[in-house]
Amino acid sequence: MLDWLPQNVSTFGSEIDKFFYVIYYITTTVFFLVTAAMIYFLVKYRFQEGKPARYYHGNNTLEIVWTSATLVAMLILAVASKPLWSKIKQNPPPAEVIIKVTGKQYNWEVLYPGPDGAFGTDDDYQVDNNVHVPVNKVVHVLLGSIDVIHSFFVPQLRLKQDAVPGREIVAWFEVTEAGSYEIPCAELCGFGHSGMLGRLIVHSPEEYEQWVGQTWPDN
Amino acid sequence: MSDVFTEERANTLVQDYGGTPPPIGAGPSDPGNGGRQDSSGKSHANAILAMALFLGADVMFFAGLIGAFVVFRFGALHWPPPGQPLLPLGITGINTGILLISGAFMVKTWQNIDRWPHKKITKALTLTTLLGMTFLLVQGYEWFRLVAFGFKLTSGTFGGTFYTLIGCHALHVMGAVLWLATVTVRLARNRLDQQQRNTSIALIGMYWTLVVALWPILYGLVYWN
Amino acid sequence: MSEATAVKEHISHEHHGFMNTYIFSLDHKMIGKQFLLLGLIMLLLGGGLALLVRWQLAYPEQPLPLIGASQHYLETGEAETAMDSYWDSELSKTEDEQGWLVQKMPVGIITPAFYNALFTMHATIMVFFVVMPILVGAFGNYLIPLMIGTRDMAFPLLNMLSFWIAVVSGAIMLAGFFVPGGHAATGWTGYPPLSTDPAWTGVDWGQNLWCISLIVLGISSLMGSINYITTIINMRAPGMTYMRMPMVIWALFIVAILLLLALPVLTAALAMLVFDRLAGTTFFNPAGGGDPLLWQHLFWFFGHPEVYILILPGMGITSEILPVFSRKPIFGYKAMVLAMASLAFLSWIVWGHHMFQSGMNPSMGMTFMITTMVIAVPSAIKTFNWLGTLWGGSIRFTVPMLNSLAFVSMFVIGGLSGIFMASSAVDIFIHDTYYIVAHIHYVVFGGSIFAIFAGVYYWFPKMFGRMMNEPLAKVHFWLSFIAFNCTFFPMHILGVGGHMRRIYNPMQYEFLQQFEHMNIFITMSAFALGLTQLILLFNVFHSMFRGKKAGDNPWNANTLEWTAATPPPHGNFDAIPTVHHAPYEYSAPGISEDWLSQTNELQPTNGNGH
Repeated sequence: MLDWLPQNVSTFGSEIDKFFYVIYYITTTVFFLVTAAMIYFLVKYRFQEGKPARYYHGNNTLEIVWTSATLVAMLILAVASKPLWSKIKQNPPPAEVIIKVTGKQYNWEVLYPGPDGAFGTDDDYQVDNNVHVPVNKVVHVLLGSIDVIHSFFVPQLRLKQDAVPGREIVAWFEVTEAGSYEIPCAELCGFGHSGMLGRLIVHSPEEYEQWVGQTWPDN
Repeated sequence: MSDVFTEERANTLVQDYGGTPPPIGAGPSDPGNGGRQDSSGKSHANAILAMALFLGADVMFFAGLIGAFVVFRFGALHWPPPGQPLLPLGITGINTGILLISGAFMVKTWQNIDRWPHKKITKALTLTTLLGMTFLLVQGYEWFRLVAFGFKLTSGTFGGTFYTLIGCHALHVMGAVLWLATVTVRLARNRLDQQQRNTSIALIGMYWTLVVALWPILYGLVYWN
Repeated sequence: MSEATAVKEHISHEHHGFMNTYIFSLDHKMIGKQFLLLGLIMLLLGGGLALLVRWQLAYPEQPLPLIGASQHYLETGEAETAMDSYWDSELSKTEDEQGWLVQKMPVGIITPAFYNALFTMHATIMVFFVVMPILVGAFGNYLIPLMIGTRDMAFPLLNMLSFWIAVVSGAIMLAGFFVPGGHAATGWTGYPPLSTDPAWTGVDWGQNLWCISLIVLGISSLMGSINYITTIINMRAPGMTYMRMPMVIWALFIVAILLLLALPVLTAALAMLVFDRLAGTTFFNPAGGGDPLLWQHLFWFFGHPEVYILILPGMGITSEILPVFSRKPIFGYKAMVLAMASLAFLSWIVWGHHMFQSGMNPSMGMTFMITTMVIAVPSAIKTFNWLGTLWGGSIRFTVPMLNSLAFVSMFVIGGLSGIFMASSAVDIFIHDTYYIVAHIHYVVFGGSIFAIFAGVYYWFPKMFGRMMNEPLAKVHFWLSFIAFNCTFFPMHILGVGGHMRRIYNPMQYEFLQQFEHMNIFITMSAFALGLTQLILLFNVFHSMFRGKKAGDNPWNANTLEWTAATPPPHGNFDAIPTVHHAPYEYSAPGISEDWLSQTNELQPTNGNGH
């Protein structure tokens, strides 16, 4: 099943995948153990003439054992997830590139600060759906929406963040491989929800410079 | 854990899982009439429990609305938002007092239902009803002034939460006053036997207590700044 | 007046006649059957909607089979089949004159707007009008008085009203399909601002009716839950202590408490949504100072208890059936009750895990992750205790047993897949993908629906006095089990591939192209699963009139409903039973049979007893 994960190209993506693997192996093991036990019981204790069932009401020691074992396993899993969660959603590393992405039915409106590095000035550059970023740089995305809730999803980056009208939410990523990736909207946003599709174009440093030079307005 | 079945183990099992039926506190057995024309004690207990459960659900309904109000109020930089009126703190304070006194009458009546003479009960309930009506009239007048000032349901989240929250409470008071009035009139006309009287007063008493008890919370949250 | 004469008098006071017996009946058993019928009809409808959704996902923007236009017509414009001519004549009309069908699916191709309404209504109907009416309404009403040993609910009139208000609510919900603008199309979660303003979706009264219907349903459920709780607390037969109640009664008791406290919160949220839509308030509209996330908090504060409302009765039914067909006491009765109670408690403090990616303060993520992970504990207790019940049994593979075993194994998969999204970091990727769809269907279909099957097969003899056809039921079970897994297991893989939920056409995305064949496979399995349910319907209605007559206790079970006549008369019991022991005393030593009705005394064995 793990082979179906899209190729990962972000710095934190591999850590998410690692967690995914760990939980996958744990749950698969549990599933097979439980199923095996069940099938074994079903075969061994099937109705047979002259073999009565046991009059047995349970065992408190066993109850305590499996309760505390599950509890400990789950708490470990939760606590282990915490640093990664904080890293992705709470404490982004300092930004090297900042862009604004605003959801609207049914496009992503992308705003670059322009040469002066500040939003809301004359030299901002705006385009629909195409997010150009350099490879190996920390990119902050200031996410917003002008109408309904959208969700900024880049499968290859393992990144998903809702864009909520009335809020500006910071998402971040650092791509490790140049290329072109799709940015579907992952939260139902109306009849055009399917097909609301942006594109993340990740450039090598030189290409990025070139793109900036060609497309951004001059100072 | 041995599954060998010893006599000793059998006896403990029988204690745990069998044996003579212990008495059940709350639930005397059904006398065999489908719970419909039940013996009065049973239907009284059922009615009281059902009312308590209904009030629990009602509290959750208000919790939803109050939750919304709290989110807006404590999430806002300025409250009330600029351009919105200050709510009438003083007159509503007096109104709060009126409602609380009415609640006190109700509780007193409820407590002394087997001690007070019939006339006194009727009188106390009449007073409770009248005080409840006064509360409604005062609040209606206040609303009238607020609307005249331009403060409406559509005045942002302040107007929206104010009118839904206080309005829902007002609807509850209105329903309770109507119910109280009905009970009082039937009491005055001697239309209820003692069991019916006790049940009706207990039910309206519970409902009225909740409605009255909610109000100081709403007053504190919504009116005070 | 002796008890017997009282009963007779009571029954003779009944107004006989069709209306009072079948329509406005006050008898809990008839009301239970009415809920069952309501749920089964809605199951057909809700399932049909799902099949339309599946068709679109497998064959995006292609005409539906049977009713769609032919390929020849689409290419040349010449009508070839009867449906071609129908579409041709409809399409030549002006927009105002066009029929309902052509607005929703011109030439048999589902429009994106109708597609959104389809999955919205599929979920709404399945949650509120299938699983709740059957598990809570039908089994709750039918079983509670019979299993605790009383003659009826505490408030029979309220009970009848509860059913008919649910019918009214259902009618309002279905009316939404036929209003201009179409039905609600914002998902069963109805997230604002999409749901607050007709401008965003083009849906006007559809969404209003959706809200109103659910508010009305809230009233019905309030009446039902008050009735259940009062009945269970106040009307138990002598000797029926709490710790001697059958597990399904415990489950329904806990569910009633959840319903009582959770639905009012939804009602409050829905009222605000209706005000936003109709009265111009701005609770959820950021332009007026409102907050879209407030809805999500309120909705999921209701919504997570709601999920347990859907699964707990299934757990109860399973816990009921496993001991009967293992012929041994349930393993860890008290632990099972405690596990259900703690599930119910935990359901109040985990709602935030639906909102990890919503923009909610991320520091709350950690809290909700821990509480969510802890849910695995009571779930594990239940599973291990079910296994413990099988251990050492003398297992009979009857149809109710097979369905209950399916419940256990499907619930294990649904529970384990939940751990993935409980981890907030992993959830970043799988949130809003088909992984979630797979998870919920393993819990609610693999869990609740298989429990419904089990319950119907198990109590049908008591309800209708006849046995269901066993071979047919086995065919139904195996086909359902296989088709279910073929339908929903691959959805995990779609989710791992990043396949978003609620999209109209996966082929619009490059990274989803590879899933075309899997989507087709899922759709075919879904159609097979849907068709298989016709076997169940046939079996139910056929057995109702033609089935083999059933005795009072066809399964040799202990609980009180099997001591009543089959089918039980109005008033249930000749005399109110007295309960002497816990419900699952099977194969007790010193007793000649391997079962012992709760009304019989469990004698301590003396030394030479065995």
